[in-house]
Amino acid sequence: MQEFLQAAIIGVSLGAQYALLALGFTLIFGILGVVNFAHGGFYMLGGYVAYACVSGLGLPYPLAVLVAVLATAALGYLFELFMLERLVDDHLATLMLTLGLYLVISTGVLTVFGPLSMQFEFPVTGAVHAGPIYVPLENLIVLAVCSTAIVALYLVLFRTDLGRALRALADDRAVAMAQGLRPRLLFPLAFALATGLAGLTGALVTPILALSPGVGDPVLATSFLTVILGGLGSLGGAALAAFIVGIVEAYSSVYFGGSIGALVLFVLVLLLLVFRPTGLLGREIRGA
Amino acid sequence: MKSRCLVFAAAAFALGGGAAYAQGGCELKLGAMGPMSGGAAQWGLGMEAAATLAAAEVNAQGGLQVGDKKCHVTIISYDSKYTADGAAAGSNGLASQDIKFIIGPVGSPENTGIKPVAARNGQLAWNASYAKNALEAKYPLMFHIAPGPSAWADTLIKTAKQTFPMKSVALIAPNDQGGTDIVSVDAAAYRDNGVTTTEEYYQRGTTNFAPIITRVLALHPDVVDTASSPPGDAGVIIKQLRLAGFGGPIGRLGGPGTDEILRVAGGLDVVKNFYWFETVPTEDPKVRAIDDLYRKLVGKEPVGGTSFWADLPAARLTLKAISMAGTIDDVQKVAEVLRKLPVEDPNMGKGIWSGQKAFSINQELFFPFGVGIIKDGKNLGVKKVEPVM
Repeated sequence: MQEFLQAAIIGVSLGAQYALLALGFTLIFGILGVVNFAHGGFYMLGGYVAYACVSGLGLPYPLAVLVAVLATAALGYLFELFMLERLVDDHLATLMLTLGLYLVISTGVLTVFGPLSMQFEFPVTGAVHAGPIYVPLENLIVLAVCSTAIVALYLVLFRTDLGRALRALADDRAVAMAQGLRPRLLFPLAFALATGLAGLTGALVTPILALSPGVGDPVLATSFLTVILGGLGSLGGAALAAFIVGIVEAYSSVYFGGSIGALVLFVLVLLLLVFRPTGLLGREIRGA
Repeated sequence: MKSRCLVFAAAAFALGGGAAYAQGGCELKLGAMGPMSGGAAQWGLGMEAAATLAAAEVNAQGGLQVGDKKCHVTIISYDSKYTADGAAAGSNGLASQDIKFIIGPVGSPENTGIKPVAARNGQLAWNASYAKNALEAKYPLMFHIAPGPSAWADTLIKTAKQTFPMKSVALIAPNDQGGTDIVSVDAAAYRDNGVTTTEEYYQRGTTNFAPIITRVLALHPDVVDTASSPPGDAGVIIKQLRLAGFGGPIGRLGGPGTDEILRVAGGLDVVKNFYWFETVPTEDPKVRAIDDLYRKLVGKEPVGGTSFWADLPAARLTLKAISMAGTIDDVQKVAEVLRKLPVEDPNMGKGIWSGQKAFSINQELFFPFGVGIIKDGKNLGVKKVEPVM
């Protein structure tokens, strides 16, 4: 019973982190039709920017997180505006561009910060223990920030003109443009929003786990797996799938071990693709 | 007009100098291979740094004496990414540049990939893997930088038991050859010392170990051993073990990286009780002097970590063997000379050739190694242990 409850706590905590990553990833695919292979790079960069702000500039951690979000969002904005925009409908070109950006980010980080892990600690440590069950305080804080960010993203996308415009472009770009919406203005904003979310996750999670030049590698696989499960381009699906992935990962790892645990997730996605190719909440095809 | 003349003069000097170099000297290209990006980059960059320093040492003396020529040594690096295909491709890539001597690769998957390809290419290579088949008699051009746990695990466990009495241990490592080979040898050594064992494996690339730790702690082990988990992973495992309330000692019968483990885990207060294997006696001033030598000759900061120090003798001995064999082309002849060289290094001291017992081939360098202990948050230091067959 103890392991069962602990696995539930771990699963929810993992799910919140995966949700932030997957929402950004699916946002870019849903609106631009681009699979962002640099998503892990923005996660990693968020961690390094926050680290540099704390250790180099002496900024307080919350401010460092904010700088990381702004920096990754700004890089995403500029990258979309100057590199992706002209080739946004060419899937091979965007694949190469985003993959290239990931290599540039990871090599840049390796060159500037070196290959070793950084000493980057979350400002709050410790855990709430209830008998044999424990909840790390840092996970509670990350869960709260992630939940707030998810709600804020929902409000932006579903309660503001910007959100309506972005969703209109995702639904049918030609009709949206005929209504006066300008992709050249809105696509970079959507990209910045998504990369800012990845940067936020990196700044929050890397001090809890580890910060090294390789931390972005698994992020892409996890994000991909989550959004495929949820339905490519579906925001609700990505959020739902993130918590499913987190909980399945936690329970399967606790009860079957680390090797089979990873396998269970991929089997789950394979089965879903066989029986429901559009994912949990995905539509048959995106309009853009 | 004057400046144009200067440019022409400089070009003529450069061309003339180059021609003279081509006629009178020679160039020896040495490969350096290992993971130079990603989580294990420290180990690959350490390999590159070792080759670079060995080359800088001979170049500072005007080059490596090979027969009647002085050869300038250059290093060509290859990032084999800790994968079998990366190392195999690296062997071919280096062979296409006529490189016959490789310092590297590092990990067991890389070693599995490079052995047959390097043999086909006729390359002499040095691996630092702890795999059970790190060396094989059918690949006589493969040499081993340092022995795996079969040579030192027993000593480590006996030393650790004096400080940390234990009856059970849970070993955690990646589920590929780089983890399973080491854990199986470590586990056998623990059992030989009366300690019951359980083995727990994870997918390489795992970032959050909380579920695995929940599983491990359900077994109530006295000790958790991070074996050959990369240092970054081991740091996170220790941090999360302590957060989960595990107060027992933590062992590391695996690869180097204690500094990084301490950094990731959160320092001595978090790690608290820890014992580990060091490939070199890290507190020996002669060993530590390698970093100063690197700064002086290469003009850069060393990569950090202790694997660089352990890799250096292999690069130095290779250059010495090439010089004594008097050839940069006849790899078999160089290998013959290398096998007969005494195991000595200006910084590491004296060692022995080993490997016959574990691999049926005596091509493994075995220098003094270290056993480190942290007790109650206090670093008690690294004890030097002399190698024995």
